Amino acid sequence: MTTSPGTAPAPGAQADSGSTVTSMIESSAERLFGGNVDAAMHAAVAGGEWPARLWTLAVDSGFACALARDEHGGTGANWADAWPILRALGYWQVPLPLAETMIATMLLSMAGVAPPEGAITLVEEAGAGGLALDGPAQQPALRGRASRVSWARHCRWALVSMRAPHAGTLLLVDLQQGGSVRTAAGANLADEPSDEVAFDGARCSARVDNPLPGLDEPLRHLGALTRSAMIAGALDSTLAQSVGYANQRIQFGRPIGRFQAIQHALAVLAAEAAAARMAAIVAAGSAPSIATGDGASAAFDIAVAKLRCSEAATRAAPIAHQVHGAIGFTREHPLHRATCRLWAWRAEYGSDTQWAERLGSAAISAGPEGFWPAVTQRGFDGA
Amino acid sequence: MTRIDPCIPDAGCESLRLQVREFLAETLRGYPALARARQWSAADPAFSRRLGERGWIGMTWPRRYGGHERSQLERYVVLEELLAAGAPVAAHWTADRQSGPMLIRCAPDTLAPKIVPGIARGEVYFCIGLSESDTGSDLASVRTRATRIDGGWVLEGAKLWTTGAHRAHYMIALARTGPQGESRHAGLSQFLVDLDTPGVTVRPIRNQAGEHDFNEVAFDGVEVPDECLVGSPGEGWAQVSAELGFERSGPERYLSGMQLMLEMIDSASAQDARARVALGRLVAHYATLRQMSLGVAGLLARGEEPGLSAAIVKDLGATLEQSLPDVAHDLFGRSMPAGSALAEVADYITRAAPSFSLRGGTREILRNIVARGLGLR
Repeated sequence: MTTSPGTAPAPGAQADSGSTVTSMIESSAERLFGGNVDAAMHAAVAGGEWPARLWTLAVDSGFACALARDEHGGTGANWADAWPILRALGYWQVPLPLAETMIATMLLSMAGVAPPEGAITLVEEAGAGGLALDGPAQQPALRGRASRVSWARHCRWALVSMRAPHAGTLLLVDLQQGGSVRTAAGANLADEPSDEVAFDGARCSARVDNPLPGLDEPLRHLGALTRSAMIAGALDSTLAQSVGYANQRIQFGRPIGRFQAIQHALAVLAAEAAAARMAAIVAAGSAPSIATGDGASAAFDIAVAKLRCSEAATRAAPIAHQVHGAIGFTREHPLHRATCRLWAWRAEYGSDTQWAERLGSAAISAGPEGFWPAVTQRGFDGA
Repeated sequence: MTRIDPCIPDAGCESLRLQVREFLAETLRGYPALARARQWSAADPAFSRRLGERGWIGMTWPRRYGGHERSQLERYVVLEELLAAGAPVAAHWTADRQSGPMLIRCAPDTLAPKIVPGIARGEVYFCIGLSESDTGSDLASVRTRATRIDGGWVLEGAKLWTTGAHRAHYMIALARTGPQGESRHAGLSQFLVDLDTPGVTVRPIRNQAGEHDFNEVAFDGVEVPDECLVGSPGEGWAQVSAELGFERSGPERYLSGMQLMLEMIDSASAQDARARVALGRLVAHYATLRQMSLGVAGLLARGEEPGLSAAIVKDLGATLEQSLPDVAHDLFGRSMPAGSALAEVADYITRAAPSFSLRGGTREILRNIVARGLGLR
């Protein structure tokens, strides 16, 4: 017998306590995703379907616009409030571009633009290298290719964050405007849609300035924040599945979880999950939102979180597979949905190595006197 | 499975932090890097007394024991600043961390009023009498015996690996006072032993770095009065478990190798991509462990049992600290100039590092605790 996420301990048992808003969001995310995401849905999505009903339910629950202003249909929640949604996206491996849409609706709303209806994907700064803008400033046209764009084929919109010479510019582009935008299907290693998008003089529906002065690459930073929380959720899922399996699988006359070798491997997995959870929650607590403003330590906390969560993914996934043995290596067993996402997500919005470069550079510039103050104030001076 | 929630120190804690930083910058001016790295064997009674004068020992204890009734988080902030600066805290650390709290908890009207105020002044030092020659991780196997006599007890046996016994005034010793019972945890009791008592012999044991840090402490017909039984007879196991929760919960479990991190930052070139990546990873580990360690302090502040969370933090902390000498070797190797602060600190931490996953509970014992918390044992 195997343990599926459907029978695993509810993530709510480990999720963040705190404000009433947070616990309401938590229980509603729990009900929605725990009750609707199942093996059949994953199979359908892997076959190319868009889970339209689940998307509608998520929108109706207020998740897509959770961080937008009231007048834009949002609830004005901050990232700490939204943490249970993000964690649940990872725990249940929810097949929707919800994190991307939450980021886009918040940024548009902060910049004074009412977020449009429909799913919105992100073309982050690193992926915008091949893009150019031409035409008049009020009606710019976008040209070039962006690769590995999450869920693009199913999204109505993309929010594009330009690089120099247009750094700080965010563009809202209708992906279904016709021949000037073409999408070629691809996938990440967890079979999530990860597409190539070609823009050929695409019209931009809105052009705004990055409303977050503390984050010079807003999509990369917020993408990293959301992936960190999703990794923490997926780690909890691998831990719950692995502990459940170790207690059920009998070899040599006893559950394999009675063997110290297995116990210690799972203790390492639990420690990695706990570290990832802490790093992701701290980053959610300081990330900028309408409610909290521009978090002073956000850039540092997000770098720490994505690095630490990605490292945890690297250490934890092999342990989960080793404990599960051959059954965990099958397509039929749900374990791969969590572990393959860990491997995919650790690379998205900056890998651990890329974030380490930034933090290491800042540490070397700050010198030995700057290190401990940076740890306690969660940020390097002038970096 | 227990969870560790974030705990952010408030403005009062942050202003206390600045006071501590200022005090340390002044007091430790010119204190060399190697001395800072060796803070665990660096006992400096004069420094401990100065901390006592500042009210930074026994911070959370009731005033009637000489304490200062500050919060757990204020205490945490002082501890992490002392450790980050490499201050010589070894003299009073054990007494402040676990012996004082144990006396207040288990002997509130007898021993605590007499002894604890001296701890808070930074004048009275303790060591911990748990391990023996045949007793390490398996604490229930202690062979030191305490036998009842008229008005007190007689101790026979020997403790081993006793850190700081040569500079401590007292030990709290775990001894067998009755049959072990089925669980093996029954029949153990704890005793306060004045190390000047006749029959106590302290012999030094040098560690592989050549330092005298731990000792053998032999008891040969050592008589202690009745009131030196700490807590209840036969309750030693439960008392020790609670004590070890405190021992494992502090920031020393990830901050004792920090001087090497600082030396590496000092020596690294911003042009060296390998150094940027390796040090950047360490920055993230330090930042995350600090939040976890603070979270454990938050558990203590709410009166919750820190055991399981503390085990996770100590295991991750030791793993981080033991990686530091390897990172230094990888980045600098033989290019470390002989006699440089980097080389001295790296050599020292390399030899000290094996103890990080032994002291205060081995890595294996910690993982057993975590596995039990996961429902696997």
